[in-house]
Amino acid sequence: MPLAPGHWPRPLPPAALTPGPRLVYPRGQGDPPSGLRVDGIGVRRPPLAVVFVAVLIIALGETAGAVMSQLRPQLDTYARARIAANAQVHGLAGSAEYDGEVIARTVYVTEAGLSFFHTHAQGLGPVVLFASTLAATAVRRRRARTVLYVLLSVGGLFPAGYLVYSLAALELGRESGVELAERYVLTPLGAAAIVGLLVLAALIVAGRGRRPAA
Amino acid sequence: MKAGEPDAWRVPPASTLLAAVLLIACAEVGGACMVKFKLELTRWARAVIQARPATHGLVGVRDVDEEVIDELLVKFDAALRLFHLHGEGMGLVIIATTMTAATLVRADAARRAITALLTVGGAGYPVGYLLWGVLIPHYGIDRGKTLAEWLVWIPFGGATIVAVWWLTALLGLGLVRRP
Repeated sequence: MPLAPGHWPRPLPPAALTPGPRLVYPRGQGDPPSGLRVDGIGVRRPPLAVVFVAVLIIALGETAGAVMSQLRPQLDTYARARIAANAQVHGLAGSAEYDGEVIARTVYVTEAGLSFFHTHAQGLGPVVLFASTLAATAVRRRRARTVLYVLLSVGGLFPAGYLVYSLAALELGRESGVELAERYVLTPLGAAAIVGLLVLAALIVAGRGRRPAA
Repeated sequence: MKAGEPDAWRVPPASTLLAAVLLIACAEVGGACMVKFKLELTRWARAVIQARPATHGLVGVRDVDEEVIDELLVKFDAALRLFHLHGEGMGLVIIATTMTAATLVRADAARRAITALLTVGGAGYPVGYLLWGVLIPHYGIDRGKTLAEWLVWIPFGGATIVAVWWLTALLGLGLVRRP
């Protein structure tokens, strides 16, 4: 845009945005439609198996949400039937008032497990995809990348722990089932995801200033 | 490496990215509005509920009616929260899944169909919670939910589920057939 006479040059404060020649990028250096480019670094994709795990987790999470919404009465009936079949582990005493409260709490835990599965799967799927993309792009050493892919993929299965949480609460009793799911499924899978993300962060910090993965 | 190489991510269509970013932005704004206009939203919902006593079974006895109104307001608030939550999540899911489709689905028709289903379904689904929130004061919890289900959740959520399983199946086939 032409400037009014006398408008330029004029004193400007330090670090102010100053008018200058328009930047013209050479042809072919703009964002090509075929690949993401961030600051001139091509963004790599992780191996197909890792992408598959991430998308599978998202698909399972979506489906769980729909099942929870559409089949709530059936899930409730199933949960009550399983609790009745495992009366001893749930400590049912034959008193309607006491048993009713125990059953309601266990059904609540089962539904909460499904809800956690839905929300964690929807969240963790993209986390696995984007974190493994960072690993593919920013981590130079092949062996380190492989370790990260394994940790992130295994960690990506963390939401499945909430399915175990739901089922174990019905089959083993509320306390025992939740403890089993937390100790043997949620903690190891969650730890894999956390370790994977921390190692990725450490490797990115360690690799700053070096050339990106060839 | 250069963009366009076999193991580079490919960008999904601009319209898809726009839909995803707009959805995330709407969800952010929704969350902010819930905090900023909490009082106004509650007043509006309460006024609409009280204007429709027959719909909500209000009997004119304060003690009884307040319990009913409280339950409706809790669900109204929950619907807005779920819009916020699902908007944020589905925006990222759209980007992640359509990027995967753009990169790894070779057949043009399948790629376009999956991308369209994921975009339309993913962007439309969270709006169902907003609709439910608006419908609760007018029609009650259950009628509002039924309307939202048939108008938004089932068609848009169904589209997303079909597309994401289609994509999963194609990726699985790719893994099995890989040399």
